[in-house]
Amino acid sequence: MSNPVLEREFIGILRTRRAFAMQVGAAMTFAILILLRWPSDGQVDLSGIQAQQMFQLFGYGLTAVIVLFVPAFPATTLVRERRQGTLALLLNSPLEPYRIYWGKLAGVLGFVSLPVLMSLPAAMACYAMGGLSLQHDLLALYSVMAIACLQYAALGLWVGSLARTADSSLRITYGLVFFMTIVVLGPYQFFQGKPWEWLVTASLWLRSVSPLPALMEIFGHRDAGSGGLMSPTGNLMRYAITAGIITAGFALHTLLRLTPKIFDRARSPGVITEDRSKAQQWFRRFVFLVDPQRRSGLIGPWTNPVMVKEFRSRRFGRSSWMLRLIALCAVTSLGLTYTSTAGTMDWGVETIGGMMVVLQVTLIILLIPGLAAGLISSERETGSWTLLQMTPLSTSQILRGKLLSVTWTVSLILLATLPGYLVMVAIEPALTRQIYYVLACLLLMAVFAVVFSAAVGSFFRQAAPATVTAYASLVALCGGTMLVWLGRDSTFDHSTVESLLAFNPMAAALAIMEVPGFARYQLFPQAWWFISAAIAVSLVTLASQTWRLSRPR
Amino acid sequence: MGPADPVVVIEGLTKRYGEFTALDDLSISLNRGQILGFIGPNGAGKTTTIKILVGQLRPTSGTARIAGADCVRDAAKIKWLVGYMPDTFGGYENMRVREYLDFFGAAYKIARPQRQSRIDEVMEIAGATYMRDRYLESLSHGMKQRVAIARTLLHDPEVLILDEPANGLDPQARIEMRAILLRLAEAGKTLIVTSHILPELSRICDTVAIMSHGRLRAFGTLKEIMQTVSQQRSIEVQLVSANRIAAAAELIQQQLSAHEEVTRSPAEATIRFRTAQSEEQLAQILALLIAAGIPVVQFRELQSDLEDTFLSITREPDEPPLADEEESRTAGPRSDAPVGNAAEVG
Repeated sequence: MSNPVLEREFIGILRTRRAFAMQVGAAMTFAILILLRWPSDGQVDLSGIQAQQMFQLFGYGLTAVIVLFVPAFPATTLVRERRQGTLALLLNSPLEPYRIYWGKLAGVLGFVSLPVLMSLPAAMACYAMGGLSLQHDLLALYSVMAIACLQYAALGLWVGSLARTADSSLRITYGLVFFMTIVVLGPYQFFQGKPWEWLVTASLWLRSVSPLPALMEIFGHRDAGSGGLMSPTGNLMRYAITAGIITAGFALHTLLRLTPKIFDRARSPGVITEDRSKAQQWFRRFVFLVDPQRRSGLIGPWTNPVMVKEFRSRRFGRSSWMLRLIALCAVTSLGLTYTSTAGTMDWGVETIGGMMVVLQVTLIILLIPGLAAGLISSERETGSWTLLQMTPLSTSQILRGKLLSVTWTVSLILLATLPGYLVMVAIEPALTRQIYYVLACLLLMAVFAVVFSAAVGSFFRQAAPATVTAYASLVALCGGTMLVWLGRDSTFDHSTVESLLAFNPMAAALAIMEVPGFARYQLFPQAWWFISAAIAVSLVTLASQTWRLSRPR
Repeated sequence: MGPADPVVVIEGLTKRYGEFTALDDLSISLNRGQILGFIGPNGAGKTTTIKILVGQLRPTSGTARIAGADCVRDAAKIKWLVGYMPDTFGGYENMRVREYLDFFGAAYKIARPQRQSRIDEVMEIAGATYMRDRYLESLSHGMKQRVAIARTLLHDPEVLILDEPANGLDPQARIEMRAILLRLAEAGKTLIVTSHILPELSRICDTVAIMSHGRLRAFGTLKEIMQTVSQQRSIEVQLVSANRIAAAAELIQQQLSAHEEVTRSPAEATIRFRTAQSEEQLAQILALLIAAGIPVVQFRELQSDLEDTFLSITREPDEPPLADEEESRTAGPRSDAPVGNAAEVG
C-alpha cells in the first residue's frame, strides 16, 4: 500500500480487539442464520418461498449491521486526529489532502467490507436453496450495501471535519443517518397520489436518499403505508444517483476543509446581553424568550449543582434550545396525527398509534445514549472527574444530578410528543386503557435507556466509544428482536418470536396498540417484568461502578 | 493545632504496586505559608505523593496529615482543607468562566449570597476578572491556568497543591503566575508546587524536595541543599590545547577519592570534576598540573544552580556521560541518604 494513511487506518483498525469481535460476531450471526434455515428433514421447498423469506431476513440484518456500524469509524477519525494534533502533522506533510481523504475513506471501507464479505457464504446458501436470482437479488442487494457504505462513510468523514469532539461527531452522524434513512421517507408517504406532480416527484427523489425503498423493491415488499397505491419502481437506480451526488458533495466539502484553516475556529466569546443597550436587551428578550447570551443566575440553594452544570455544558441543554426542541416535538406529534387522520389514507388508529410508538422509541434511542453514555466517561476523558471528586459532593449527589439532567430533558421532549395520543383518545375513547399501557411501556423504555446508557458509559474512559456501545446495544435490543419478528412464521415459529419480543418494550407497546403483525403476540406483562429487572441491574451496575471510580485506588 | 505547628506532615509514606515501589518511605513536613517545590524526573513519585495527599490514592504504609486531618481516614475533611490543581484543566464545554466557578462554588456549598463576592475575589486574585463572560474553550492556556487557580481558591483552602502550574506558559504568563503564587504564600497559604521548570521553582520556593525513583533525595531550603551539594563543587580546568588532556585528567583523578568523577571534553580542551576537597587541596592539584608542564588557561569553580543541584542529586551511577563528553569516570555507589534536612524545615 503506497498510501500511509490508508495503511495506518486499515491495518490499524484490523489490529484492534473490537475489529476481531466484530468479524467473529458477523461470522457467527450469519452461520446461525444458515443453521436455522438449511433444510434438514430431506424435503426441499421447490417454490423458493423459503429462500426468499430467508433472503429478506438476511438482507434486512445486513442493512442493520451497516447502518449501525459503518458511521462509527469515519465519524471519529478526523475529529480525533484534529484534537490529538496529528491532523496538523498530516497536513504539513507532503501528502495531498485528497490522498489523506482517500486513505481514510478507503481504510474505513476496507474494514467494513470484511463483515459484508463474511456474509457472502450465507448469501450463497440462500441462493443454493433456489428461487433467487443472482443478478436481480444478490447482486442488487450487495450493490445497495456498497453504495450505503460509501454514503455513510463520506457522511461520517464530513461531520468529523466539522464537529468539535468525537462524541458530538458521533451523535450528529447517527442523527443524520436516521434522517437520511427513515425521515426522508415521510414526505412521499403523504404526497403520493396527490395532484401536485412536482411535489410528488421531489418527495420521490428525496426518499431515494434512503437505501430502504431500493431494498424493499429487491425483496419484493410493497411500500409501507402506501394505502393501496402502486409502488414506484426504479428505486435502485434513483438511490444510486442520489447517493452518488450526496457522497460526492460530502467528499468535496470535506476535501475543501482539509487545509490548515480547519484549525482556525476560535469560539467567539459573544457579547453579553447585559452589556448591550436597553433597546437591544428588550428586542432579544422578545425574539428569544430565553436569551442565550444573558448572564445566567447563580445556582440556587436547593438545586443539585451537577444537574445545572450538565444542562449548561450541553450544547442544546440551554433553555433557548430546549424550548425549540420541545416545540418541534409537539408540532411533529400533532402534525403527524392531523395529517394521517385528515388525509386520504385510511390508516386506522392502530397504525397511527404504531407509527407514534416507533417514532417515540426512535427518539429515545437517538437521544438518550448521546446524553447519558457520556455522563461519567466524558468527565473521565477531560480530567474533570478528579475535580468533582475533590469537591464535598457525595457520589450519590453527583450521580443523582447527572441522571436528573438527562431525565428532565427526555421527559420534557417525550411529554411534547403526547398530544398525538390525546387526539387518538378523542377519535377512539375505548383506547384510553391501551394508551396508558403503551405510555407505561415507553416510560420504562426511556428509564431503561437512560440507566443502561449511563451504566455502559461508566466503563469507558472516553465518551465516543461509550456512546457507540450504548447506541449499538439499544438498537440491537429493539432492532435485533424486530429482525426476528420479520422472520415470523417462516424462519422462526410463533413461540420463538413471542419469547424474543418480550425483551423489546417497543414490541410490547405495539402489541398493546394491536398494530397489525403484533396483535397476536401476548407480550404483556412479561415485557414489563423484563425491562424492570434490566433497569434494576443497570442501576446497581451504574451505582457500583461510580462508587468504585470515586474510591481512592 | 497551633499556628506554629506544621500544616503538612508526611511520615514514612510508601506506595507499592506489586513488586514496584512508586514511593519509598517519604517523610517531610511543612509549615504555614511555606512554598514547597516538589521536583524530580518523570516517575520519581511526585504525582503519587500528591494523589495520596488529596485522597485519591491509598498508601501501602505510612501516614500523611494536612492540618491534623489524616489523608486516608479524614478524606471528607481533606476536601475542605486542600485546593488541588491537577495538570489537566478539566473544563466543560459551552460554559462561561463565571458559570464554571459558580458550579464549583455551589459544589463547595458556598451560600448563594456569598458566592458572587467570592467568585469576584478569587478572579481578582488570579487576575482573571476580565475573562468572566468568556467561554472556557475560547481561553488560551495561560488564561485557563488562571481560571484553574481561581477555582482552586474558591473554598479558601489552607493548602494548595499545584501540579505543573507554569507548564506551557509563555515567559510573561510565567512571571504573572509566580507573582500570584507569592501573593498566596504571603496570605498564609501553604503551597506544594511541582514543576519541571527548575529556575521557575528556585525563584518562588523557600523549600525544595528532590525526588528520584520514589525516594526523597534532598529536602530543605534551597540554600541548605545548595550548600550540601556545593561540598561536592564542580571545578573546570581549561587547557591551552587538548594535546595533553588525557595526562591531565589522569593526574587529577589520582588526587581525588575513588567516587569522585572526572570528565573531559577534548573539543573544548576542558576537564571537569566534582569534589569535596578543600581550597588547599585544589591549589595542590593546580600546582601539580603546572609542575607537570600542562599549560592551564583557567582553573575555576562553576556556580551551581537548582538545575545543577537537581542533576547532581538525581543522576544515576550507571547513566551515560553528557552528550558532548567523550569519556567519564565514575567511581563508587551514590549514597541513598537524603541531602539536607530530611526532617522538618521551618
